[in-house]
Amino acid sequence: MGEVILTMKGIDKTFPGVHALDHVDFEVRKGEVHALMGENGAGKSTLMKVLTGIYTKDSGTITYEGREVEFHNPREAQAAGIVIVHQELNMMGHLTVAQNIFIGREPRRGLFIKDAEMNAEARKLFAQLNIDIDPRETMSNLTVAKQQMCEIAKAISHEAKVIIFDEPTAALTDTEIEQLFVIIRDLRAKGYGIVYISHRMDEIKKITDRVSVMRDGQYIGTLITEECTKEDIINMMVGRVIYEEPKTHSMVEEGAPVVLKVEHLNAGRMVQDVSFELRKGEILGFAGLVGAGRTETARALFGADPKQGGDIYIDGKKVDIRSPKDAVEAGISYLSEDRKRFGIVLKKNIIENSTLATLHEYVKGPFIDKPKEAKATQKYVDLLKTKTPGIDQLVMNLSGGNQQKVVIAKWLVNDSRIMIFDEPTRGIDVGAKQEIYELMNQLAKSGKAIIMISSEMTEILRMSDRIVVMCEGRKTGELDIAEATQEKIMTLATRDIDMQNSKAMEEGA
Amino acid sequence: MKKALEKFKSLKLVRIMGFNRVVLIGVIILLCLLFQVLSAVLNHGNVFLTYARFSSAMNYGYFIGFLALGVTFVIATGGIDFSIGPVMFCAALVSGYCFNNYGFPMWVALIMCPLIGALFGSVGGFFVAYLHLPSFITSLALMQIAKGVGSIFTKTQNVSWPGSDDPGGWYRSLSNLTVGSVNIPTGLIILIVLAIILSIVLNKTRAGRYMICLGANREAVRLSGVDTRRWEMLAYVICGALAGFAAIFYVGCYTTVQPVKGDTFNNEAIAACVMGGTSMAGGLASILGTVIGAFIIAIMQEGILSMGFNIAFQYSLTALILLGAVIADVTSRRRKN
Amino acid sequence: MENTIDRKKAARSAFIRSSAFQRLIIIAVLILLYGYFYAASTSFRKYTTLVQICSNMYYTLLMAIGVTFPLITGGNDLSMGTGLICYSLIGSYLMRIYGWPLWAAIVITIAMGVTMGFINGFGVAKLDVPPFIMTLASMMFCRGIGSILTGGFSGTWPDGAEPGAGFRNAFRLIVKTESGRMPIPLGMVWMILLVIIMTLVLNKTRVGRYTIAIGSNKEALKLSGVNVLKWHIFAYMICGFMTGLAAVTYAATFSNITPGQGAGFELNAIGAAIIGGTAMTGGSGSVIGTFLGVLLISLLQVGLPFVGLNADWQLLITGCILLGAVTIDKMRNSR
Repeated sequence: MGEVILTMKGIDKTFPGVHALDHVDFEVRKGEVHALMGENGAGKSTLMKVLTGIYTKDSGTITYEGREVEFHNPREAQAAGIVIVHQELNMMGHLTVAQNIFIGREPRRGLFIKDAEMNAEARKLFAQLNIDIDPRETMSNLTVAKQQMCEIAKAISHEAKVIIFDEPTAALTDTEIEQLFVIIRDLRAKGYGIVYISHRMDEIKKITDRVSVMRDGQYIGTLITEECTKEDIINMMVGRVIYEEPKTHSMVEEGAPVVLKVEHLNAGRMVQDVSFELRKGEILGFAGLVGAGRTETARALFGADPKQGGDIYIDGKKVDIRSPKDAVEAGISYLSEDRKRFGIVLKKNIIENSTLATLHEYVKGPFIDKPKEAKATQKYVDLLKTKTPGIDQLVMNLSGGNQQKVVIAKWLVNDSRIMIFDEPTRGIDVGAKQEIYELMNQLAKSGKAIIMISSEMTEILRMSDRIVVMCEGRKTGELDIAEATQEKIMTLATRDIDMQNSKAMEEGA
Repeated sequence: MKKALEKFKSLKLVRIMGFNRVVLIGVIILLCLLFQVLSAVLNHGNVFLTYARFSSAMNYGYFIGFLALGVTFVIATGGIDFSIGPVMFCAALVSGYCFNNYGFPMWVALIMCPLIGALFGSVGGFFVAYLHLPSFITSLALMQIAKGVGSIFTKTQNVSWPGSDDPGGWYRSLSNLTVGSVNIPTGLIILIVLAIILSIVLNKTRAGRYMICLGANREAVRLSGVDTRRWEMLAYVICGALAGFAAIFYVGCYTTVQPVKGDTFNNEAIAACVMGGTSMAGGLASILGTVIGAFIIAIMQEGILSMGFNIAFQYSLTALILLGAVIADVTSRRRKN
Repeated sequence: MENTIDRKKAARSAFIRSSAFQRLIIIAVLILLYGYFYAASTSFRKYTTLVQICSNMYYTLLMAIGVTFPLITGGNDLSMGTGLICYSLIGSYLMRIYGWPLWAAIVITIAMGVTMGFINGFGVAKLDVPPFIMTLASMMFCRGIGSILTGGFSGTWPDGAEPGAGFRNAFRLIVKTESGRMPIPLGMVWMILLVIIMTLVLNKTRVGRYTIAIGSNKEALKLSGVNVLKWHIFAYMICGFMTGLAAVTYAATFSNITPGQGAGFELNAIGAAIIGGTAMTGGSGSVIGTFLGVLLISLLQVGLPFVGLNADWQLLITGCILLGAVTIDKMRNSR
């Protein structure tokens, strides 16, 4: 680790109603990988946006290479050598790789851009990083991992000294992550200061030198990665020791009937030949890395996306699900991972959202039976303990946890028998999380069959009665909770598909 | 001052109508006074507040009102319809031509109007809802088609609907009924009754609820198991039918229709909607606001004529109003986020 | 082995969805359509018909190339048609009433187009007004303002034996030959030159590059430190400039300008651009495709009367073509 290149001190930033950053300190040294951790909404991204001039800070100082600086926009930060490799990749899919890398600073002769020179420069950059990408390729034709490498190449071409990685592995496969780490280690050796934002504890241990933790907009502390344990970091992140006991055995009654049977479901690249069964009163966990095809499986099952093949049986009877409408009529409900886009209508109130799926039951003649609607809504607000001043409150004024409860209410009103929870606790604070868990257990106990997609291992181990593991669009294994361990799940979730194929072939022979 | 405003806002009538709508009514009154003064100053002592001007503004307000009511539904779903004006003309041309040349009875011609409109609406709705085309370009194409169809059907001739005293002229009493020496604004009555019905449709029925919700978040509604395509298409059919309905009141007041015209009314109807508080982003609609907006447009039109200006002013002024209303809508939304 | 078949299949389907394929289709349709008109009507076979097709397409082509830029950013411009009439009306007014020289009238006509482009761009890029509403307002505004400023004056540009009428020759040169007067569509030369220049602008200059980038991912471009506002407005100004140029060309071709006209011109231009493969969703488009699209529309406009279909049918048919082009665009880009 070299000298300090960047110091942020006492950074304060308030948005209307939110104290996003409360006097945060942070520093980066040359030749180190410095992890920045914290739960969703802890303020990591905000801090980085203040650093790169996307937001202006209210107070505090940023010292970079010994001078106090303040960037007004990302361009200034870039020019000084601070670059973000973003979480949502920042590229223009219609342009070529080289055009993307040199966007905003194209070499020109007179009015004209010298594309040949750009391609040559890009080639040099890729050679430096040992990456094999054709600079003339159109960006949208590349895999996510390669697109990300282009972003890194872009950062280096900016003569960056500090590179910020914002959840870089979220959409990568295991091998791709390894490649990325090789690049990051190489950059570290070359003396770059690297900020690494991630939720994945294993990666933090693997790649970083120091860990700084934030919580609720505050700086909590910095640890040397080698000297600390996962638990230390988690405790700093959540502010208390969490005792999350995994389930030890399945809670499903002996001989509970199979409610849902899916056979050979196919939908695009992300869902290939997926089969599973779901029983009454069961919570079936769907584990896997982000991008394993779990959400796609759920959406295909629910009729939200077209499927190419596969049979679905409910209570042993084959059903034809072509649209969400068919699925809802068949008693399936889907709680999306992206509530705001797919779950609720933000601009409308709790009543309107709660009865959205079942409005046909709340009509008297041609009109909506508003008192009946209100009564049902109130019932579920009470039952789920949704915190709101009233049922006519617009949903956008509720917190994430309470919004999730509105979505749950929508499906309870509908009396769905099969509920698919996709990342049910994403973006929800710890207290509300607990409530959602209890609710799901109650629902299972009352006889609902639940599919729970989750990327949090602890959540999977704590809630599931049985676990289906997916990897790259295929089901790679199924575990009973009694035999499931983190390691077993992880092995299945990162299983090499080729190996699996050759094995299948052997079996076939 | 602030307190007085709060108190005013908490009045029962104001609460029922919505503060913005009350402000709009204030705008109407102010506009009338303004035109009264400006007409006198600019146009040799001309008087704006006369009965003739008033009834002329009313006549204009009827069909703009019907057009605007229809497009309110489409805008509520997050779409737009630029074809309503030409569709109205197409309906008036085709059914009027049938009445004049093929001897259709008047009541058939009248029923044909909304049916022709609904036909256009369902074509547009199909392309938008089922094939997911952008609504503005779809409706622009439909606008051309409506113009073409109307004009081909009538062999590029004007169509004159019968006058009050001609056979079949009774349809005009749908707009204005004269009993003895008393004029009854039947058009206004029909407009208000229809507005109340549409308000009920929008706020108290499943169709209205779904249309507004899918305007606010289409995917969430679809994933709730609602066939969004059907309801979205319905909005366009309602819009088209009302455009056809507007034709009855257009010819009721003006009798003659020219082919290949009508697109200026689109903008006035859309401006009326947006002014009335229907958000271009979808998910928010006010029937009452739309009606008031339509009358603001109508009064402006009369005011401009009263001041002795060319009707071309109306186009430019509507443009500025539309722009102002949309910018206000956009900025208020941006502030909220 | 299966892999190579898959790849071949993928390559084939990629080609079918590509804009190059769409252009080939247009060329095929052009040839078929021309052949049909040629076979159906003897009077269509004349040389003058070809000249007429050319004359007819100039102003539409200019607008279509112009609007290709806003379309690529994911926007559009509905103000072109009424704008065109408004600018040329005011231009002729200044010439006829105030005695401005021809060159000054041309400059002011183009300048008005650029200004309107700036206003549209500002509204869209800075104020976040939806492009179709912003340009719809401009369209209405132009429709009114031309008549207001000129007092309902019907404009004429130099024609016949008037001084300055020579500028019409720039587009339609009349050459005396033994068999009489033969018009040469000189404008076509400028148009082809223009297509080349604008192709270069779109693909080889910063404004073109950023226009594509805005349509592809505006946020990313912003984060790359590019002054998006400036280039976004610039894209609309190009469109405005081309509309101004179209106004001059229109004046040179038809010389009579009636106030209140022009609504609908823009739809032909937009339709042509979309037929030519410019995506409604932004991010891709080509000037050459737009050129072919205009050729198709112009051929229809001129050819339809020869087979007994009047101007009303043109409206109907262009409406259907627009609808068809958008549907194809949607299907091409929806995977």
